[in-house]
Amino acid sequence: MSTSSRQQGGLFGWIDARYQISPLIEFLRHKEVPIGAHPMVWYYLGGMTLFFFVVQIVTGVLLLMYYQPGEATSYESIRYIATKVPFGWLIRAIHCWSAHLMIMSLIVHMFSTMLLKAYRPPRELTWLTGFGLFSIALAFGFSGYLLPWNELSYFATSVGTDSVKSVPVLGHWMLLVMRGGEDVTINTLYRFFAGHVVILPLVCVGLISVHLLVIQRQGMAPPIHGDTGRRGMPFFPNFALRDLLLWLVCLTALAMLAVTLPYGPRLPGMEWELGSKANPLAPAYPGIKPEWYFLWIYQLLKEFPPHLFGLEGAQICLLLVSVLMGFWAVIPWLDRTAQRGRHSPGFTDLGFAVIYFLSFLTLKASDLGAAVTPNSDAETAAVAVTCAYVVFGIAAATILLRFFVYRHRWFYLSAAALIHIALHAWLGWSYLTSGALVAVVTAVVLAASGQFRVGAEAGVES
Amino acid sequence: MDSSTGAAKHTRRSFLDLLLGIGATGWLASVFYPVIRYLTPLPSAGPSGPVKLSKDQVKTLETARYVIVPVQGKRILVFQDPSQTIRALDARCTHEGCTVQYVPGESVIWCACHNGRYDLDGRVLSGPPPKPLPQYTAHQDSEGGVLVTPPVA
Repeated sequence: MSTSSRQQGGLFGWIDARYQISPLIEFLRHKEVPIGAHPMVWYYLGGMTLFFFVVQIVTGVLLLMYYQPGEATSYESIRYIATKVPFGWLIRAIHCWSAHLMIMSLIVHMFSTMLLKAYRPPRELTWLTGFGLFSIALAFGFSGYLLPWNELSYFATSVGTDSVKSVPVLGHWMLLVMRGGEDVTINTLYRFFAGHVVILPLVCVGLISVHLLVIQRQGMAPPIHGDTGRRGMPFFPNFALRDLLLWLVCLTALAMLAVTLPYGPRLPGMEWELGSKANPLAPAYPGIKPEWYFLWIYQLLKEFPPHLFGLEGAQICLLLVSVLMGFWAVIPWLDRTAQRGRHSPGFTDLGFAVIYFLSFLTLKASDLGAAVTPNSDAETAAVAVTCAYVVFGIAAATILLRFFVYRHRWFYLSAAALIHIALHAWLGWSYLTSGALVAVVTAVVLAASGQFRVGAEAGVES
Repeated sequence: MDSSTGAAKHTRRSFLDLLLGIGATGWLASVFYPVIRYLTPLPSAGPSGPVKLSKDQVKTLETARYVIVPVQGKRILVFQDPSQTIRALDARCTHEGCTVQYVPGESVIWCACHNGRYDLDGRVLSGPPPKPLPQYTAHQDSEGGVLVTPPVA
């Protein structure tokens, strides 16, 4: 037994004598959060996402006490929870609300990390594990959606799982393994249930551990410039208490939302009314939509023609989505300028262009401005125009803010994304034709003007 | 150490490495093969040959002008066209697998998921479906029953 631990009495001394935890306490005492160059709000989003995940685990376990997967029980047990079990409606409402809020805070967390270049060395693995967690969150959402075995979940799962058939060679086998048969049946629900309550939580907890471990080891990313005279806030207790306070606010907000809107805000892709039980022999009904975070893929699938370059449109579309996701995952290795600790205005602008791209597709998929599901080309075109106005509004606000407050001067990719939307919405060009044209013109303009290099290199050097 | 001993040692080491490699691969295969086979579902066994619609299904067909019935594990759309002929098509949209429906007013087969439209022979009229809907044979027997026959493979 060491002398120091002998000096410490009580439980702490007892534990420290056996497990030597003093160095850990010492580490926590000196841990600091960098403050200064950008608003601290971005540092809280990871913790907020973690909080919602913990709420998911707790409410998920509570739901498991009554939920029974099965053809004759899945829907019935959820209805029993929502209508008969005391506070069952509340547990279910919190589980649903927290799921949506978790994905929202995760997305904002991911974009803030991207725009502030916190992914740059030595934090590539933090980004990569974060991207893994984002994919798992989507898988959680997708698998949990089927469990109530209602009409909406049945068709959303039919469409979602059908996409895997596009994978070359292994596609059909993957479809069979995912569905437990050719079609979506109760066997699919059993597989999704196992994934939702066992496999995904295990993988998720493992990845969260690595994500948190590397963050604890390296500390939070400091701003890209302004390292001189860097200040820090002690993590414990100053930052930890702020985190705790925010979690309390989140819990209160969650409770208020669950009580006032137990079935969701009834926005497209964001409602969880139980509806009718799944009937595989009923036709799909109009206005059927996936969850809001899948709406952009849903809309993109609609924009592709039946055939393109000798392949099916859906195959090309999903290939494009996979390439975009892959690109997003390896951004730390692509952004060579940020690797050298300098600003990469091209990548900042890319982040905003992606936001405009995703917003337009998501809004269009939610039939913004249409009273009913658009059924004709004219109605769809009207929806596109309304969505374009909204996205241009968002773009105007962000571009002005970036230009005047953050002194950004590189807007080529944002401009390309906006021109694409404008050509499609106001000139009525097909989404793909205008997209391809804008992509080619942007590449040529950037190459000819040497802006590729400027975009990748530092616009503002510290 | 002379070179011949070194070479012999090298050969012995490579041989052991090879054995280890084969052993490890075999071990991995013997672990994963049963798991992969376990996860691959068995083909669904159902009665082959024509399927007769139940009384309830015929009633739905008469009132709604269409009904979706299971035939050999597949969803089949049986409908009554404007000339009162009973016809049958695979109800699985060729785009993303949603269940299609017959719209009697417009004489089209429509998929609500991504707005795909087919004519009554299953050919694509508009929207994203890449292929036509496979046709099934349907006919009414003398007692008013409806039989659906899968296409001969």
